[in-house]
Amino acid sequence: MSFEIKTLECVNSLWKNMFRYAITLTIALTTSAVITATSFAACGSLTMAEMNWASAQLMAQVDKLILEKGYGCEVELVSGATMPTFASMDEKGKPDVAAEQWANAVRDPLAKAVSEGRLHIANAAPITGLGEGWWLPPATVKKYPELKTVKDILKRPDLFPDKEDPSKGAFIGCPAGWGCQLVNANMFRAFEMEKKGWVLVDPGSAAGLDGSMAKAVERGQNWFGYYWSPTSLIGKYNMVPVDFGVPFAGSANWDGCMALPEQECANPKPSSWTHSVVNTVITDRFKKAGGPAADYFSKRVYPGPVMNGMLVYMADNQAGGADAAVEFLQKHEDVWTKWVPASVASKVKSSL
Amino acid sequence: MSWYENIPTMDRQELRDFKKYVDISFKDFSRTYGDGIETFFDPLLYFLVWFEKLLINAPWPLIILVIAVLAWVGSRSIFVVSGTVCSFIVIGYFGMWEDTMSTLAIISISTLLCISVGIPIGIFMSRSDRLQSMVNPVLDVMQTIPSFVYLIPVVMLLGIGKVPGLIAVCIYALPPIVRLTNLGIRLVDNEILEASESFGASYSQKLFGVQIPLALPNIFAGVNQTIMMALAMVVIASMIGVKGLGVPVLRAVSNQYLALGMLNGLAIVALAIIFDRISQSFGKRLQKHLESEHGV
Repeated sequence: MSFEIKTLECVNSLWKNMFRYAITLTIALTTSAVITATSFAACGSLTMAEMNWASAQLMAQVDKLILEKGYGCEVELVSGATMPTFASMDEKGKPDVAAEQWANAVRDPLAKAVSEGRLHIANAAPITGLGEGWWLPPATVKKYPELKTVKDILKRPDLFPDKEDPSKGAFIGCPAGWGCQLVNANMFRAFEMEKKGWVLVDPGSAAGLDGSMAKAVERGQNWFGYYWSPTSLIGKYNMVPVDFGVPFAGSANWDGCMALPEQECANPKPSSWTHSVVNTVITDRFKKAGGPAADYFSKRVYPGPVMNGMLVYMADNQAGGADAAVEFLQKHEDVWTKWVPASVASKVKSSL
Repeated sequence: MSWYENIPTMDRQELRDFKKYVDISFKDFSRTYGDGIETFFDPLLYFLVWFEKLLINAPWPLIILVIAVLAWVGSRSIFVVSGTVCSFIVIGYFGMWEDTMSTLAIISISTLLCISVGIPIGIFMSRSDRLQSMVNPVLDVMQTIPSFVYLIPVVMLLGIGKVPGLIAVCIYALPPIVRLTNLGIRLVDNEILEASESFGASYSQKLFGVQIPLALPNIFAGVNQTIMMALAMVVIASMIGVKGLGVPVLRAVSNQYLALGMLNGLAIVALAIIFDRISQSFGKRLQKHLESEHGV
């Protein structure tokens, strides 16, 4: 790992100077291009992060298709993940685009990078209706309509018996090591769930969390736990987000307590889940060099249900991002044709 | 000549349908029989929970005393005993006592389960060449299939928690005890068997009086390997919600907490070494005792 980083740094310092020339050159070229013509050919080549989860893969592949076929860019996808991709964009200016960057994890450094002009938020909400929270299966909601808020649910631990201690209710938290594990543990204390007869279950891994939810819903059992949207599981099982019944108790409570390890959070206050911010982040280089292609990102918004539907399609057909991108472009023309000028749309359509 | 250049593949759609068919049939199976299977394993779960609580709630000096006595019985070496006591005190001092007790609980139960299932299978295998040729490939699969592959169906069937964790551990840790029991019995000298036959030993007298006792060192090597492999699965088991030393390791891996990972990893190593030394020296003593008795 460290070896890789070192070599990368070496290569990068070599490239850095060349990059500087390239950037000045491209800036000069694009400015003249913008002044003289409305040609799309100015887009050039760019790298885009393909994150390691389904919705981001779909978005990256759709972007790639539209940018390549519609705007004549040359797009190279590099695999990524929230933290490494952000670090690389911030430090090295590569990749140029992160389609689905969850901002809560990198809020302060992202704000700094934006204020210093290294990165730009091309789209502050590329997917609507997304977020983290606590969920119930639809069957449970239908059977027990009185469970409207978290407070109602907490009164009924008997409906969600824990396998290892059936006298208690099981709340399925977040796998060990995820940021949300700390939040869920603190929420568990803030809502005094232990006193109300609940245990916090650590599912151990993403597979464990998914499996426990899928198993419960498939068998018509009750399930109460943490998850997030957009995801295929939420879409597939039509999971219902639970209202916390309390307002958001302020970012001081959230950032200064909830998001920290238990020892550093003495008095967590009950609160609804913080609003999840997802951005499409682009580098300064691409914002300047990309021309109309960079503007494309600002209009590209996926409605939540469409995204969930695509994720279900991907899961059901075990399709990768590339296959799903073609499916999306074919099935949801009404959505994506609004993102681009008609001429671009027809170019993309004819390429399918 | 396209069939010559490209290996014949299933049609994409057919392949997808095939995968879907397998997934759906498994889901149907899980929906129909899942509850029954879960109920079947409930007694095991209660026992596991009870045993873990017992270990966690017992006063620590008592636990250390019991482990020290076990170490003495197994090894008869003051060096092993003092090493064992020291490691447990260090583990407790670094705040890993509770996790270590959880791990100890699931490892001991899964080892017991593997032994009680594995030794009989090994004995049957040694009796019949046909059974051996049938069981061996199954053992190969159990040892080599990536554990993540069977974690998914196990979780779909039994949910997350101790029982699926135990099953995952046993799938991996069972083969050595089966193989070495089988091997140990097959390696017993033919002349000894002939001698016992000439004294008029019956089939069961031959098996339980001659073959199994002579195979004990090998069987014990199998027990030792089973314990080691069970410990190696601690982290994987934690991925489906088993409490213990694996949980902090997972947390360390995803957050790059070097110290946390090292400490808990080393605690697993300490457990492994303790179990290994005790069971190995026990096995060796068995061998010596047998050697002098049979004068080999």
